[in-house]
Amino acid sequence: MIVTLVIKRDGSEVPFNQQKIIDAICAAMNCTDKKIDMDVAQKVADKVTVKISKLHKIDIEHIQDEVQSALMNSKRKDAAEEYIGYREIRTLKRRERSSLDKKVQGLLDLTNEEVLKENSNKDGATIPTQRDLLAGIMAKDFAQTYMIPKRVVEAHNNGSLHFHDQDYSPYFPIYNCMLIDLKGMLENGFKLGNAQIETPKSITTATAITAQIIAQVASHIYGGNTINEIDIILAPYVAQSFIKHFKTGLQWLYSMNRTDIDALDIFYENQQLKETYPNCFEYAKHLTEKETFDAFQSLEYEINTLVSANGQTPFSTFGFGRGLSWEERQIQIAILKNRIRGLGKDGKTPVFPKLIFGMEEGVNLKPEDPNYDIKQLALKCSTLRMYPDIISVPKVKEITGSFKFPMGCRSFLGAYEEDGQALHDGRFNMGVVTANLPRIAIRAKGSEKTFYRLLDELLETCKEGLMFRVNRLKGVKAKVAPILYMEGAAGSRLQPEDSIDHLLENGRASISLGYIGIHETILSLYGQHIFDDEKLRQKGLDIVKYLSAKATAWKNETGYGFSLYSTPAESLCYRFCKLDEEQFGVIAGITDKGYYTNSFHLDVNKKVTPFEKIELEKDYPQHANGGFITYCEFDSLVKNPEALEAVWDYAYERLPYFGTNTPTDKCLECGFEGEFEATNTGFKCPNCDNSNPKTSSVIRRCCGYLSEPSQRPFNAGKQKEVLSRVKHM
Amino acid sequence: MNIADYKKYDVLNGKGLRNSLFTSGCRHHCKGCFNAATWNFDYGTPYTPQFEDQVISDLNVEGIKISGLSLLGGEPFEHVDGLLGLVRRIQQECVGKDIWIWSGYTFEEILADTSKSELLAYCDVLIDGKFILEQRNLKLQWRGSENQRVINVKQSLHQGKVVLQD
Repeated sequence: MIVTLVIKRDGSEVPFNQQKIIDAICAAMNCTDKKIDMDVAQKVADKVTVKISKLHKIDIEHIQDEVQSALMNSKRKDAAEEYIGYREIRTLKRRERSSLDKKVQGLLDLTNEEVLKENSNKDGATIPTQRDLLAGIMAKDFAQTYMIPKRVVEAHNNGSLHFHDQDYSPYFPIYNCMLIDLKGMLENGFKLGNAQIETPKSITTATAITAQIIAQVASHIYGGNTINEIDIILAPYVAQSFIKHFKTGLQWLYSMNRTDIDALDIFYENQQLKETYPNCFEYAKHLTEKETFDAFQSLEYEINTLVSANGQTPFSTFGFGRGLSWEERQIQIAILKNRIRGLGKDGKTPVFPKLIFGMEEGVNLKPEDPNYDIKQLALKCSTLRMYPDIISVPKVKEITGSFKFPMGCRSFLGAYEEDGQALHDGRFNMGVVTANLPRIAIRAKGSEKTFYRLLDELLETCKEGLMFRVNRLKGVKAKVAPILYMEGAAGSRLQPEDSIDHLLENGRASISLGYIGIHETILSLYGQHIFDDEKLRQKGLDIVKYLSAKATAWKNETGYGFSLYSTPAESLCYRFCKLDEEQFGVIAGITDKGYYTNSFHLDVNKKVTPFEKIELEKDYPQHANGGFITYCEFDSLVKNPEALEAVWDYAYERLPYFGTNTPTDKCLECGFEGEFEATNTGFKCPNCDNSNPKTSSVIRRCCGYLSEPSQRPFNAGKQKEVLSRVKHM
Repeated sequence: MNIADYKKYDVLNGKGLRNSLFTSGCRHHCKGCFNAATWNFDYGTPYTPQFEDQVISDLNVEGIKISGLSLLGGEPFEHVDGLLGLVRRIQQECVGKDIWIWSGYTFEEILADTSKSELLAYCDVLIDGKFILEQRNLKLQWRGSENQRVINVKQSLHQGKVVLQD
């Protein structure tokens, strides 16, 4: 008798074994209501065996085909159906497995552009980042297969919506961005790694600890972190440094003994002290100013040299500007002067932390305000380094219900009270799902009614995705992220086994519906540019109002802090557009540009004045109050900060949050300072044509954050968007 | 008088946010001129009373702090008669707006000419002298070559000597 060889999928050959067929049929039968019929199983197996016994070799797929048809011809068609279903699932799994392998292989040989360039803050060539990216590939695959609701996975993969940050969440119960409760941590002490940290006694120590906290927090969340009002939070430690220096001065300049020194009440505004010990006062003042400057220099270097467990520099933001005391002013000055100086011997523009300057009448807005000098410093800094962006304190209060800086680059919390007190620090965002508006506009073929019907359908899926994000965090125990839940970064000190549920509820945390491409949506639906027609401007606003009303309804229904967020779309601008081009073809002005426009922004290629852009965009934030920013493109303003002030003052009255993009590029070959030319593949010096990334410093705004694309190239869509940018002056 | 260009919200020509008016026609013909097309007196569009009204109202636009008007060219001092009406109106109708003017003539040359100095008297800042390619320096503020000066007109006229703008 011939021994038939079976060719397996990996190409290896094994002798045919009838028992394996019987086992497979029994397994299929076991899933049916009629259960196993050994007699039928044996008969089918015999039939197949006879058929193939004359062959020397047979492919495994052929054997399965034979089993399938023999089963279909038996009295157990139900078992045949199970058998077929099982085969299909296995085939699908194998295909998935092989695509997963491809992604992992692509990471290894650096060809997986999608993963490597998704986040311009990550250097995908380095080992720690590759570990993070590898984990991301696996986590995303697992989450899509076993965790995220099927309808949401399908909508994500076909590009109807975007379930953000799947490389971290939902595989890990991890949230997006936050305001770190730095004040609570410093005042009450906390445990970091193996060390118990007490309240610092100088600004040097306070900033060193702040850097450590930021690094730890950044490793436990996937979005950005913000120190909200860092000047006010760290001011007590400047006061401590002043005391320290004053005491040293008394000891050495006035030979005072310890007991007498300790009896004095030392603080900067103490006039009597100043008059009694003038030299000592000047000495302490000078040393404290110097120490504060140095402390913030160290902090800036720390943040720019750190790599979090997520394989990147922490996305960090400092909000400041409202403090009026001498100590608070010293911090504001230190932050700005360090930024003006730049990093390293070439004085390169740092990308992190993002700086946001809070502007307010009576504080720093007008020449008669006490901190007007600091506004001048902020203007100078912005012309040289692009940051700080500005916040209009009254507008943020009006639009979001209370004052706070954004979490990360643009996510804003609503008002929330605990024990009758407004609470901001320690709160966070649970994540985002973004709707692809241009797609449903294309599908609606010019019908507004169809557009809103399709929008309703899409929003139901978005809501399902968002509620899934919330539910993933529910029941999570404090021990999974000690820095956040047990040591105070999220504003509470829980026990390891405590649930974090109360931190998620009643609007304490936000959960955000995002949207992209109002510009393309209007163009597709009505065939005209939103800027050119007052009626269309209203239509654009109507869509955002509609989305906002949905988010509010969901909030009322579920008790969770649903908000509408204007998605920055770093890589999404490219992904949505590409998928729509594949599905609907090249559509002029919509899919032919290679990118979709950020949230409610005017398309970057529209030539308008900054004032016109501000006028167009100013009405959106009050509806999309879970996240927003407006920015304008300028020529270099280094020689003309007065012009920037005119723009800032105009924005202050109209916009909650505003940034300016000005050229701050530098050629390290020829010394040119100004704006490099964007090309399809990178950037080149206009003076000497140098395009070597190693000798170029090119800084561009990527979303709400800056980025250095000469070092880590943007994805193709973002590069196209950068190429299309026109100046607004 | 023809107008070569009119730019609103200019940040490159003078301190603050400004509106800039470029007149057509110039006889200096400096080598390396950044705007040689405007040497021709017929270049651009005619200056009209309607246009003048527009310039005035643009300076007084609400909500935006416009520092003033910049007069460039061409050579604006070729059009003393054409511009005098405008600068007089600015003085009367546009409170707190200053006038910057760029010229290939030097401060001394302008003073020696009665009609040119009449126009100068309405201006606050003069950037004077021809553009000399050999002295070009892109790092300079408001001017293109080393020989040119940024002059505080009011102070200079008052003191009878050139006072530079700080």
